[in-house]
Amino acid sequence: MASEEQDVLRVEDLRKYFVIGGGLNPFSKKEKFLRAVDGVSIRVPARKTTAIVGESGSGKTTLARAVTLLDAPTGGRIFFLGKEIRKTAKPKELYRNMQMVFQDPDSSLDPRSKVKDSIAEPLHGLVGGDRKGIYKNVLKSLEEVGLPEEYADRYPTSLSGGEKQRVAIARAIATYPKLVILDEPTSALDASVQAQILKLLLDLQTQYSLSYMFITHNIAVATYFSDTIAVMYAGNVVEYGQTRSVMTKPRHPYTVALVSSAPLPNPKVRNLLNVEIVGEVPSAIDPPSGCKFHPRCPYAEKICSETSPPLEEIAPGHFVACHFVEKTA
Amino acid sequence: MVELLSVKGFTVTYKTQWGNVRALDEVSLSIEKNTLVCVVGESGCGKSTVALSIIGLLPQGASVANGGEINYKGVNLSSLDENRRREYRGTEIAMIFQEPLTSLNPVYRVGDQIAEAILIRVAREKGKGAELQTEVMKNAYDSRSIRRPSRLRIRSTMPPELKAEVVQALKLVRMPDPEQVPERYPFELSGGMRQRIMIAMALAEKPALLIADEPTTALDVTTQAQVLKLMRGLISEVDASILLITHDLAVASQVADRVIVMYAGDIVEDASALDLFGEPLHPYTQGLLACIPSGFKDESQLKPIPGRLPDNRNPPQGCKFVTRCPFAMEICHKKRPKLLEPRPNHRVECFLYGE
Repeated sequence: MASEEQDVLRVEDLRKYFVIGGGLNPFSKKEKFLRAVDGVSIRVPARKTTAIVGESGSGKTTLARAVTLLDAPTGGRIFFLGKEIRKTAKPKELYRNMQMVFQDPDSSLDPRSKVKDSIAEPLHGLVGGDRKGIYKNVLKSLEEVGLPEEYADRYPTSLSGGEKQRVAIARAIATYPKLVILDEPTSALDASVQAQILKLLLDLQTQYSLSYMFITHNIAVATYFSDTIAVMYAGNVVEYGQTRSVMTKPRHPYTVALVSSAPLPNPKVRNLLNVEIVGEVPSAIDPPSGCKFHPRCPYAEKICSETSPPLEEIAPGHFVACHFVEKTA
Repeated sequence: MVELLSVKGFTVTYKTQWGNVRALDEVSLSIEKNTLVCVVGESGCGKSTVALSIIGLLPQGASVANGGEINYKGVNLSSLDENRRREYRGTEIAMIFQEPLTSLNPVYRVGDQIAEAILIRVAREKGKGAELQTEVMKNAYDSRSIRRPSRLRIRSTMPPELKAEVVQALKLVRMPDPEQVPERYPFELSGGMRQRIMIAMALAEKPALLIADEPTTALDVTTQAQVLKLMRGLISEVDASILLITHDLAVASQVADRVIVMYAGDIVEDASALDLFGEPLHPYTQGLLACIPSGFKDESQLKPIPGRLPDNRNPPQGCKFVTRCPFAMEICHKKRPKLLEPRPNHRVECFLYGE
C-alpha cells in the first residue's frame, strides 16, 4: 500500500489481555484472561482522524492505553511514524510526538498544580529548555485553546469542566505532537461546551497538522468528527472504513443496530422507537464462541457460533467481519 | 387533555458554603395525563431540582420560597408535612434515578426489593397509613428482622401470590428470564437490567406519575434505546404520565410529547416536541440545537454557543441568557422576560416575542 508511509500510526493484531482470578494463591490454576483487546488492526493516516466507536466494555480505552504503552500490550505490533515501538521504547522520544487527552479533566489535572505548571510539565520533561522559553510556550498553548493569559496562575478547581478540558488539550499540544489520542474528550461535558471543544480540536488539527485517534461512544460525534471509523465490539473491530461509507451504509449487523440506536434530534424521525436490538455487550471473560455478536444478531446461523468471521474488504477501503454480510446490503 | 400535576411559581434556593444558589426561579409547568414530558437543559440548570421538588426529596439546605405550589389531584403537595407527603411518594408519584446501582440495596435480592414496593402499595390500597406499613412488611416477611441478615431470604418465605406479582412486574419491563431474576442480587445484573428493575419497582406501586432523572445516561446506546422504547410504551400500558429529565436533546426529541427547556433555573421554552424542534423560538434552544453534531464535518459547521453558564449565586439582572445571546437588546439587560405564549401551546421566555 502506497499510503503506508503516510500513516502516523499503524497497529497490527494488537492484543491486551488482563489476568484475573486465581485469588491470592500464586499457584492457583483458576487463572483466566479478560481479552479486552483481541487482535485489532487499525491505521491513523497523517493529519486525519480515526474514530474508535463502541459501547462500554468494547475495549476502546484499553486499545488507547496499549497504543500509548500506558499498559504494555500482550501481543501485536505498533508502528508509529514508520518505526515499530516496543515495550522498551524511550518515553521521552515517544511521548513528545504522541500525547493523550482523557475523559475526565478532574482526574487528569493535578488539583495542586497551577494551570501553567500542568502545561509546562511535558515541556520540562520531554523538550527541555530554560524556564522563560517554557513559560512562553505555555502562554502560547493557552492562547491556542482560547483561554486568557490570567488563567495561567489559576488552579483547576476554579475552572469549569470545559475550561479544564481546554487546559488538558493545551498540555497535549504543548510539545507539538504528531498524534493526539483523545479518549472521550467531550463525554463529561454539556452539549454547548462539547460543541466548543470539538470545534477547537478541528481548528487545532489544521493549524498543527495533528492526527487524532478519537475514542467515543457517541455515534453522532464520531460521524461528524472523523475521517475513518472503526467500530469495536467485545474487543474486536467488526467494521472499519471511511466514515462516510460506514455511517451511510453500515454493513455489520452490530453497526446497523448501533447507528439506529443513536437518537436523531428530530421528532419526525423516531428511529429510536423502532430499534430491534436485544441484550447487552457480553462479558470479556467468557465471550460467546465464534462471532461474539451472534447471541444478539438477527441473522445468526450455525456457523456464527462456530467460527469467528475475519475482517474482509467488501468495498474499497470498507472492511466488515461478518459471515452473512450480504444480508445487510 | 386532563392535567395531572402543575407546578406554580416554585422557587428553590440551596444554601452552600459558597453562598446561596437559586436553583429554581419561579418555575411553572404542568403535566397532563398519559403524556411523556421531557425537561432538558445543561448541568446546573435546575432540571433535577424540578424532579426532587415534585417528589418532595429536596436535600437539606434547600429552602422553598413562599408562594410556590405543587398541585396534584387538588392538593398542594408543598404545603403538606413530611408524614402526609410520604403517602404520595411511591404510589402516586414514583421516581427512578440515574445510577441504578446506588439506588438498589446491594444486600437484598432484587425480588425482595420489588416485593417491598408491592407490599407498600397493597397496604395503602387497604387504607392503612404510613405507620401500619411497617407492620404489614413484618407480617409478610415472617419473623425476619434487620438484625438477623442471614434470614433475609425471600425464597423460602415469599408467598406464591407475591412471587407471581413480582414476576408480573418483571414481565412488564420485558426482563429476560423473569422467573430467575428475582433470586439475584443487584451486582449480578447488567446496567440495563438494573435500570429495568428500578422501573419495575416504581411501576409496582402503580404510580400516576413516574419521574425519571437521566435514566439512560449511564447506559450504552443500544441499551438506552431499549429502555427508552420500554418507557414510551408504558404510558399507554400502565396509564401513567412520565416526567423524563435528560441533558440530551436528541433523546427528548425521540420520546417526548412535550419538551421543557431550562436554563439557569428558568424555564425558557415549553412546547410540543414537534413545535420545539420544528421551530425553536428561544435563542438558547436554537443554540443548543446548533450544537448537536449532525452529518459529516465537510458538510455542516458546528455553531457552539459562546461563553459559559452564569453563576447562579449572582445571575445577570435581566434575562439570564443575555451574556451569550446573539440577539440581546437593551431591555434584556434590565428586565427579566416573562413566559409568553406567542404561538398556541408554545411558551417562551424572551423579549423577542413581546414584553
